[in-house]
Amino acid sequence: MKAIKLLGMGFGLAALGIFLAGCSALEKGAGILTSAGKISEGDKDKLLKTGQALRSTFAEITEEEEYYIGRAVAALILSRYAVYNNDQLTQYINIIGNSVALYSDRPEIYAGYHFLILDSEEVNALAAPGGFVFITRGLLERCKDEEMLASILAHEVGHVSAKHGLQSIKKSRLVDAFKLIGQEAVQRYGPEKLAQLTNIFEDVLGDIAEKLIERGYDRKYEHEADSLAVRFTSGTGYSPYGIIDFLQTMVGDSSLAAGKGWFRTHPTPEQRIDKLNQEISRLQIIPKKEDVRTRRFNQYFK
Amino acid sequence: MKKPSRVGFLIAILFYICLTLWAETLIVKIQTTQLRKGPQFFSSPLVSLKAGDSLEKLGEQDGWIKVKTPGGVFGWVHSSAVETKKFSLLAMDKNLKTQTSASEVALAGKGFNKQVEESYRAKHAEVNFVLVDKMLQVKVSSSQVEDFLKKGKLGEFRGSR
Repeated sequence: MKAIKLLGMGFGLAALGIFLAGCSALEKGAGILTSAGKISEGDKDKLLKTGQALRSTFAEITEEEEYYIGRAVAALILSRYAVYNNDQLTQYINIIGNSVALYSDRPEIYAGYHFLILDSEEVNALAAPGGFVFITRGLLERCKDEEMLASILAHEVGHVSAKHGLQSIKKSRLVDAFKLIGQEAVQRYGPEKLAQLTNIFEDVLGDIAEKLIERGYDRKYEHEADSLAVRFTSGTGYSPYGIIDFLQTMVGDSSLAAGKGWFRTHPTPEQRIDKLNQEISRLQIIPKKEDVRTRRFNQYFK
Repeated sequence: MKKPSRVGFLIAILFYICLTLWAETLIVKIQTTQLRKGPQFFSSPLVSLKAGDSLEKLGEQDGWIKVKTPGGVFGWVHSSAVETKKFSLLAMDKNLKTQTSASEVALAGKGFNKQVEESYRAKHAEVNFVLVDKMLQVKVSSSQVEDFLKKGKLGEFRGSR
């Protein structure tokens, strides 16, 4: 008899659970249980607190928000650099970049990955959140084969994939933004809230631009992006030594230290090569360089 | 031995049922993606999906999730294109509500959105969004990538050399 009663109660609860899940109303469910005397007010509060899914860190920035942040960071970059207009080469780096992105930890992002060449002698590459990746003509000219170029793009995809740009945003800005966003139930903001949110948006862009363009990411992020480049390139089938070959061309080049980007902001090529060799030694399969890829690379860099 | 409390039992059951059911519902979190016939990027596309679309999760394999659309089409989506539906419990009561979950923000198109960008652009005419839009126009199709990988003996075509 007791078993039947328990079974009945189980079915009743299951039905209640389905109803509650169906209307996404755990809070209402907790209220029902409270009013029926099944749980106390204190238990109800605990139940609600445990189930909260509120935003508090960069990881909870939505894909769409990341896209809009990335668009604005990309716009800031494009306000400082001219674009190198070469449609064929731009298409080529977009195909390589999208190929390595397919074998990344984040192959699909809000509006996809996009790659652009900056008309600058500087040896630099930049990745804004949301998949906006930039590579300078100066850096491209240092690449001698497709493996090297793929490894640079994979390093930048690594920054996007690991959300290094978003991690540069000061926590206090996110707290302010999330609080403000949470108070508005509608999609369009009123003038006052919009002005406040725009101010926070400016500060968010400032945080990212300072790291990305001015100071460079922390060394741990650069090493992490190198490590991801090894994984993404080898996953695609490129030789993971592409990035080491590229860095070897930089060893002892003192002219690079005065410029921006990879060699002012990144760890030294020697430090990176050491760590990369360790990473590669841990791979189970190490793909080899193929002549067919070098031949097609050479068609773009005659 | 202390008997487990009835309240604890009820809470555990309620949580279990709700979490189990919620875990089965996925939401597309990127602008657009494809429901594919198999768990590979170059598998035939079946249906176009857009941000906010709901999918029922049926299984998982190497980063791919087998799903069913509300229209009853079965296929695969990559895990990076979807997220588990989550809601803030406090959001159910406007008097208690102070913040919002990421899922709610995504579904409502709230947060840093087009309206915020327009407001920012009105203040910063010097920032070059025209070139960003131009950058977004450079498209690479799935078949172009497939052909590129094939000719370069890359990806799934490595074994063909």
